[in-house]
Amino acid sequence: MIKRFAIYGAISGLTILLILLWSGLPGQLRAILIAETDDTQWTVFQLETEFANLSVALAQAENAPAPDSSALRFRTDITLSRVNLVTKGLGRDLWVESPEAREIIARLEGFTRASTALIDKLGDLSKQDIVRLSALTNSLRPDVRRLAILGVTLGTEAKEAERVAFANQLRGVGFLAIVLIAGIVGALLFLDRLLVRARSKDDALRATADRLSSTVTASLDGIVISNQAGEVIEFNEAAVGIFGWSRVEILGQKMSATFVPQHHRSAHESGMERYLSTGDPHVIDAGRIELSALRKSGEEFPIELNITSTQRDGEKVFIAYIRDISERKINEQKLVEARDRAERADKAKSQFLTVMSHEMRTPLNGILGVLDLLKTTPLDKKQQRFVQVAAASGEILLENVNEALDITRIESGVMSLSPDEFSLRATVQRVADVLRTLADEKGLSLEVDIDTSMNGSFFGDGSRINQILTNLIGNAIKFTDEGGVTVAVEGIHGPETTLVRIKVRDTGNGIPADKFEAIFEDFVALARSEGRQNRGDGLGLSISRKIARLMDGDLKVDSHNGDGSTFTLSVPLLRVATEFSETQPEARHVSSEIIKSVLIVEDNAINRSVLREMLTGFGHAVTEADNGLEGFKKAQGTKFDLIIMDISMPFMDGIEATRRIRQGNGPNAQTYILGLTAHGREEYRSKSKTAGMDGFCTKPLRLSELKLTLSGIRENDRSGTSLEDPIALEVIDDLRKALGDTKTQQTANRFFAELKEGLGALAQKSPTTEATVISEMVHKLRGSAGLLGLQSVENALDRASSIEKTEDYLAALKQAQTEADAAAVAIKSFLSPSDG
Amino acid sequence: MKYSSIFSVVASLVFSPGVVLAEGHSVSVQGPDGSSRKFSLETLDNLPQTSFETSTIWTDGVVAFSGVSLSAILDEAGFSGAIVRMSALNDYSVDFPMAEIGKDYPIVATRMNGTEMPVRDKGPYWMVFPYDADPSYRTKTAYARSVWQLSKLLVIK
Repeated sequence: MIKRFAIYGAISGLTILLILLWSGLPGQLRAILIAETDDTQWTVFQLETEFANLSVALAQAENAPAPDSSALRFRTDITLSRVNLVTKGLGRDLWVESPEAREIIARLEGFTRASTALIDKLGDLSKQDIVRLSALTNSLRPDVRRLAILGVTLGTEAKEAERVAFANQLRGVGFLAIVLIAGIVGALLFLDRLLVRARSKDDALRATADRLSSTVTASLDGIVISNQAGEVIEFNEAAVGIFGWSRVEILGQKMSATFVPQHHRSAHESGMERYLSTGDPHVIDAGRIELSALRKSGEEFPIELNITSTQRDGEKVFIAYIRDISERKINEQKLVEARDRAERADKAKSQFLTVMSHEMRTPLNGILGVLDLLKTTPLDKKQQRFVQVAAASGEILLENVNEALDITRIESGVMSLSPDEFSLRATVQRVADVLRTLADEKGLSLEVDIDTSMNGSFFGDGSRINQILTNLIGNAIKFTDEGGVTVAVEGIHGPETTLVRIKVRDTGNGIPADKFEAIFEDFVALARSEGRQNRGDGLGLSISRKIARLMDGDLKVDSHNGDGSTFTLSVPLLRVATEFSETQPEARHVSSEIIKSVLIVEDNAINRSVLREMLTGFGHAVTEADNGLEGFKKAQGTKFDLIIMDISMPFMDGIEATRRIRQGNGPNAQTYILGLTAHGREEYRSKSKTAGMDGFCTKPLRLSELKLTLSGIRENDRSGTSLEDPIALEVIDDLRKALGDTKTQQTANRFFAELKEGLGALAQKSPTTEATVISEMVHKLRGSAGLLGLQSVENALDRASSIEKTEDYLAALKQAQTEADAAAVAIKSFLSPSDG
Repeated sequence: MKYSSIFSVVASLVFSPGVVLAEGHSVSVQGPDGSSRKFSLETLDNLPQTSFETSTIWTDGVVAFSGVSLSAILDEAGFSGAIVRMSALNDYSVDFPMAEIGKDYPIVATRMNGTEMPVRDKGPYWMVFPYDADPSYRTKTAYARSVWQLSKLLVIK
């Protein structure tokens, strides 16, 4: 647009310039045609001619006897008339620029005055006058001649200047004319291009319009166009297919009278009115919306709708793009139902498992408890074996139930971690120590290699890592017949966390690569292919991996068939820089010796009676309560040495009951309270601790565990075993958990036999001469004693190896034997006393 | 008035006897047949007079001319032909096609600014055009036809 104006402006400017220049031309042309100065030159030549004529006439008169005065006067007058011509009018202007010419003219004027004075005398001219006039005339002739030449020169110059000016102007006009023509040609080309472009645009527009109309016709979406009155003015093929009306039927009909469902019609009408009056869109230009529409058959169905408005021929029209989504809706509904069904089924499964495991555990509690009690009664060998088989089967059943519950809890997201500060080294070492007995039994080596950089404390759920490691190392021993098991602990240290990697490598048969994932699946997914037990049969690996992932870690396996397997547990753990030094409330110490009266608060009658039997067997006085409220009431009245409190109970749960007992100054405000909870309810641990419980046990409560707990109560801390204790019962308990009562007892028996033999051999040695041999032997015995947690034995052996005096040495050996005997009794009573 | 005219006559007689005026001079008009007729100042003054004011390239400022138009003189003489050959006292002559002679112009001027013209100042008879009135009178041709000291008009067939 601007370009076009610029071109028009330039052309107009050039035209005006050309007109201005051209308008000057006629004047100059006239000047050239008129050529006023030309005549002046002619006049000057005439002057010269007349001077010549006068000169001749005077010369003749000089020689004539009677000269004709009047003829001479006439001739002189004519000459003088010519002189006038160069001194007046345009003739004079010619000489203005030339000093030489002005000088000559001055002399001519002098001649005029002199000659006029001569010839204007009265009477005839005398001879003398004629001679004088002749001399005057002749003297001026060269000047006249010069003037004629000057006239020609000056005239020519003036003419030339005029011609040059004219030529310049002509040239200017010509140049401008060329520029103008060029400009006009350019403008024409530009206009031509505009025209071409406009034409192509026009074509494109027409093509677009054609395409648009064919698009509307061929669109897969239904397209309905209506005018302001709501009358259908366009209805494409797809719309016919969706609604069932033909084009002819519906064109001109109101939308509200056809495919808008009855119950939407008033809203539709008022919406149209509002939009047209206020321009406030509700549905229009709102993007995709879902509505329902009516088919010709009267069936209402869901549609997806997109309405836009536009101007057509000055009137507003509405374009609706419509898609029949009834099928999609049905599919969506089906999907939702399927999902809900699946979720319901899954939930039902979880619930079933939870309920089942609970339901199974309660009677198991009774069975195992009674079996424990049965062992304490006098039985013959056969009966002992039967009890043992029943107890072992019950334990397996309990393990399976526990694992199933673990899985369920992990899958339903109920299981939570209880992170705390712990020593990874100690955890790994303890698990390895506990399981070494199993390895030894199979003749396998069990090596632990912990990177020194892993010695520090970490923040994490140590008991879960313990659980995983027990599973991994236990499996490795179980499925290896020759060679050994290596546990390697290393870590990649980040700024704050360490990616802990624990590799458990065995030299067993290995696992085929296609089973790498299968072994981590729940036992229900695997079929037993041979008689032999396979990895993955239980839920251990599945649970381990799930726990590892719960800790943001993972558990993986790498194996070559026939060349052993390596399980790698990797878990990111926060490092703890400083020693854990949180001040804990002063623990309430209770010695099993001083426990006399025990209050049992438990709603399940069977469990209560089993527990009562166990405790009375230990020689305690037992009071019972079957719910929290009753327990609280009883605790208000009497002082007890120990309260065993179930956590979930009707009326008042154990946590609330504990809180009440701890509040105020009741007789039991300082009594040791032991919490009891169902397996897998670890989340109650912190709650119960806050409420004021001192210990925590998981049901079913076994006799050995109860005994351990009662004896451990004196130092309410797992690791805080007193030096004076003959045995560290929790070490034996760990062993018992891993190996079972029977094997633990066998291991212990084997050690005591070894020790007796070793002490005998040591007694033969001289501490003064055979210190090295003694040291080696003592070291070996000490390791075994440590494994069983026999600290008093260890201490006695230590003393023996450091004594040089023979009688003191022998006394120390004797002391070791005494301690060992005491420990043997303690272990035997801790485990099932009748067993072994 | 009376005195001044008497004085001027006396003065002209006493102080400028050499100034040749119109008396004694006349314009002779000759026809193609050879016959001729003389037009004296008196004769010319009796013919219809035409006068105008104009500048010329030979004089200074605007001057007033009066006299008889050429066409009137030719009418009076009664000759017809194609060309008028105009001659001056110094034998200068130029041809004037009869067809180009205007009805009013040129005139044979007998007076400039009301006075007769001496030979010494292009007189006594001067063929003039009203140069200021029309550019066509300011052409070379017009200037060439402006014959002064006119003495003879020869009509050629």
